Amino acid sequence: MKTSSDRPSISSKSTDLDLLRRFEPLVKYTKGEQFFPFDVERYVTECSLWAHYPDGREELLVRQEEMTIENLVTQRPATFGTIHFLRFIETLSLSESAQALAEQSRLRRKLHNQFNVGMGRLARGGFLPRVADALFSLSLLMRGKVSPATAAAAELAYEKMHQENEKYTYYGRVVHQNGWTVLQYWYFFCYNSWRSGFHGVNDHESDWEMVTLYLYENEGYLFPEWAAFASHDFHGDDLRRRWDDREQLDLVNGHPVVYAGAGSHASYFRQGEYQAEVFLPQPGWLGGLSRAWNKFWTQTLAQPESNPFRIPFVDFARGDGLGIGEGESKIWSPVLIDEETPWASLYHGLWGLFARDPVSGENAPAGPIYNRDGSPRSSWYDPLGFAGLDKTPPPPLALKLLEENCNEIRSRQDELITLIPQKANELQVLGMKLKGLEDHPHLAKIYALLQKRINTVGEELRNLRRERMENGALLQGMTQRLEQVRSGVADNPHAHIQKMAVPVEAVEMRYARAAETWAAISLSLLVFAIAGLVFFAPAYIWAGMAVILILFVVAESIMRGAFIQTISRVTLILALLTSVVLLIEFWKFILVALLIILGIFLMAQRLRELTH
Amino acid sequence: MGKKKNKMREKRPIAVTVIAIVIVVLFFVRIYQSIKPLVEEAVLRNIYTASIFMDGVLTPHGQAVLKSLLYLILAIGLIIVLLGFLKMRRWSWVFLMAWVGFSMVVGLEDYFFFSEPNYVIMVSDVIIAFALSQSDVQRIFGIRSDTGENIL
Repeated sequence: MKTSSDRPSISSKSTDLDLLRRFEPLVKYTKGEQFFPFDVERYVTECSLWAHYPDGREELLVRQEEMTIENLVTQRPATFGTIHFLRFIETLSLSESAQALAEQSRLRRKLHNQFNVGMGRLARGGFLPRVADALFSLSLLMRGKVSPATAAAAELAYEKMHQENEKYTYYGRVVHQNGWTVLQYWYFFCYNSWRSGFHGVNDHESDWEMVTLYLYENEGYLFPEWAAFASHDFHGDDLRRRWDDREQLDLVNGHPVVYAGAGSHASYFRQGEYQAEVFLPQPGWLGGLSRAWNKFWTQTLAQPESNPFRIPFVDFARGDGLGIGEGESKIWSPVLIDEETPWASLYHGLWGLFARDPVSGENAPAGPIYNRDGSPRSSWYDPLGFAGLDKTPPPPLALKLLEENCNEIRSRQDELITLIPQKANELQVLGMKLKGLEDHPHLAKIYALLQKRINTVGEELRNLRRERMENGALLQGMTQRLEQVRSGVADNPHAHIQKMAVPVEAVEMRYARAAETWAAISLSLLVFAIAGLVFFAPAYIWAGMAVILILFVVAESIMRGAFIQTISRVTLILALLTSVVLLIEFWKFILVALLIILGIFLMAQRLRELTH
Repeated sequence: MGKKKNKMREKRPIAVTVIAIVIVVLFFVRIYQSIKPLVEEAVLRNIYTASIFMDGVLTPHGQAVLKSLLYLILAIGLIIVLLGFLKMRRWSWVFLMAWVGFSMVVGLEDYFFFSEPNYVIMVSDVIIAFALSQSDVQRIFGIRSDTGENIL
C-alpha cells in the first residue's frame, strides 16, 4: 500500500471549513486578468433579474435597486421554455459605450495591468484557419453576443466593487462518497472576458469555475490523493492528476497550484499557453461532406489529417499575474455551500446576461448546481464520476477489496476443482448409457432425451473448464496487482489519462515578426487583391482568384517553415481536380480501356483454366 | 545480413520507377514541343536570313525561337530532376512536387479559362502527383518518418 507519510494530512474529525482551508488551492492568474473570484451576494445587488419567454419577449422582474440575494431565490412560476437571468450591465447608449471603453483604457493604464499577447494566436494557425476565424467572427454578428462596451462596463463595475471591499471568495463544499472525501472549490467571476480581453472564443457575464480534491481516510487522518480541475474539452479521467505527480501537479505547502486561463478562468495544472481548438459550426450536410473528405484524405490518400475548419484559440495560463492563496499576498475568504444554500439550490436561472446565442458560448452560465438548461450539473451530484473516479476505491480500501476479490476467486477455483471431475464423470456415465440404447428402435424417445441431457451436461462441463481457466488468468493478474499494492510500488500517475492538456511550444517561425505581421494583414491583403482583380481584370476574376489564393497559401507556408507540407497538399488537391477534368473529358476512352483490361483479364483466367 | 539490409533500404518503390518513366515521357514531349515551333516557322531553313527582333518586338521567328528555348530548358530541367530522383535526393521530390503543382495550375487555367490544355501533360502531372504522395515514396525521400508521421 502506498505510504501516506509524505502527504499533508488533517484529522478526519476536522470541520468542513478546516478541511477546505487545509487544502485550498493557490490560484495563479495571467498578467492582464481583469476579474477575480468574487462574492455572489455583492454581485447580485448590482444586477437586475429578467425573464426571457419562449415567444422572444423579455421582462424585467426585479430592478437593480431592489435586488437582494433573498429576492433572487423567490420562486417565480413561469411557462416551459422561460429563462430567468441576471443582468449585470444594463443596455448602454452609444455615448455610454464610448465612455465605458475610454474609462476601461484609462483604468488598465492606471493599474499597469496590460496583457502582452506575445505570439498572436493567428500566427500559430495557418492561412485557412485564419479564413475560418474570419467566418467565426462574422458568425458572431448573426449570433447573439456580448458587446465590447459591455465587457468594458463590467470591468469598471467590478473594479468599483473590488475597491470598496477587496475580497477573494471561494464557495467550498465537502461531500463524502464511496469512501472518498470530496472537497469542491467553486469560484464565481463577474465576467468572462476571454474574447474581448484575450482574443479568445467567447465573452459572457458571470463565470463559474471549479476545482475538486479527493481525500481518503487512513487511521483517523485524511490524505489528498487526486486533484481535478475543470477545463475546456476535457472529461472524466483526463481531468484529474495524482497528488504525488510532481510532473503534472505543483504544490505549495500542501496546497495544489492552479494556473487560470486569462479571461476564460479555465484551470490548468501546468503554466503555459494552451491551444484550444474551436471548430467552425457547420450545417449537417457540410459536416457529413467534411467527414467524408477527411476519410478519403487520410485513409484513401494516406495523407496526414488536417482540418481547415479548426480555429486555434489560445488560452493563456501563464501564472505571471496575481496569485491568491498559500504563500501569496492575497488570501481566500471561504464560504461553505451545500444543497441547503438557497441561492445555490433555489435559483435555477443564469447568473448573467442571456445573449440569445444559439450555441450558448455568449450566454451566461447557471449556478454551481445547475446547467444552463436547469438540469443538475454532474460535477455537483456525481463528483466522483465527473473525474472518472467512481471506479477507483480509496487506497486503503483498494487493498482490502483486492484481497477479498482474490479470496473469492480462490475459493471458487477450489469449488471448480471438485465440480469439474464430478461433471466429467456424470457425462461419461451418460455417454455409456446412450451407447447402450443404440440399435433399439423402441427406445428412440429415451435416446433422444438422453442425448439432450448429454448436450446440456457437456455444455456445463465446458463452461466450468473455461471458467477455471479464466479465473486462473484473472487470479494471476490480481495476485500480481496485490503484490504491487502491498509493496507500495506506485502506478504510473499518467496511466489513466487518454488526452492530456499540454501547453503549446513556442511556434518555430522562420521570420517570427514578419510572420506575425503577415498573419495580421494577409486576409485583408487577399480581399484587396480580389477587389483589384474585380476592378482591373474582371475577365480573369476566377483564374486570378485561384492563382492569388495559391500564392497566398504558399507565401504563408514559407513564413511558417511548412513549404513542403503545403506544396504537397496543394498539388494533391490540384491532382484530384485535374483527374476529375480528365475523367469528364475522356470518360468514353477510360471506360473502353477499363472494359478492354477487364476482358483481357477474364480471358487470361479462362485460358489458364483450359491449359491447366 | 547487413548487405541484405542495405539492399532492402536501397530498394526503390514501384512508384519511383513509374515517376521516372513518366519523366522520360515528359522529356520527349518537351523536346517535341521545342522542335515543333522551329519546324512550323521554318526557323532552321531561314536561320541566317530571318531576324528575331523587328522594331524592338519579337518576330514570329523570334517567338518560335523563344518558345523552343523555353521548352528546351524545361526538358533539360527534367533530366536534372530525373537524375536527382533516381538518386533519391530530397530536393528532387520537393522540386518535382512544386513543378507538377505549377504545371497543373497552368493546365487547369487553360482548361477552364483559356485554350485547349495539353492533356498529355495533365495526365503525366496527375500520375506524378499521386505517385509522389505515396507514403513509401515520401518515406524514402525523407519527407515522412517510418511511423507514417509527417516530419516536415
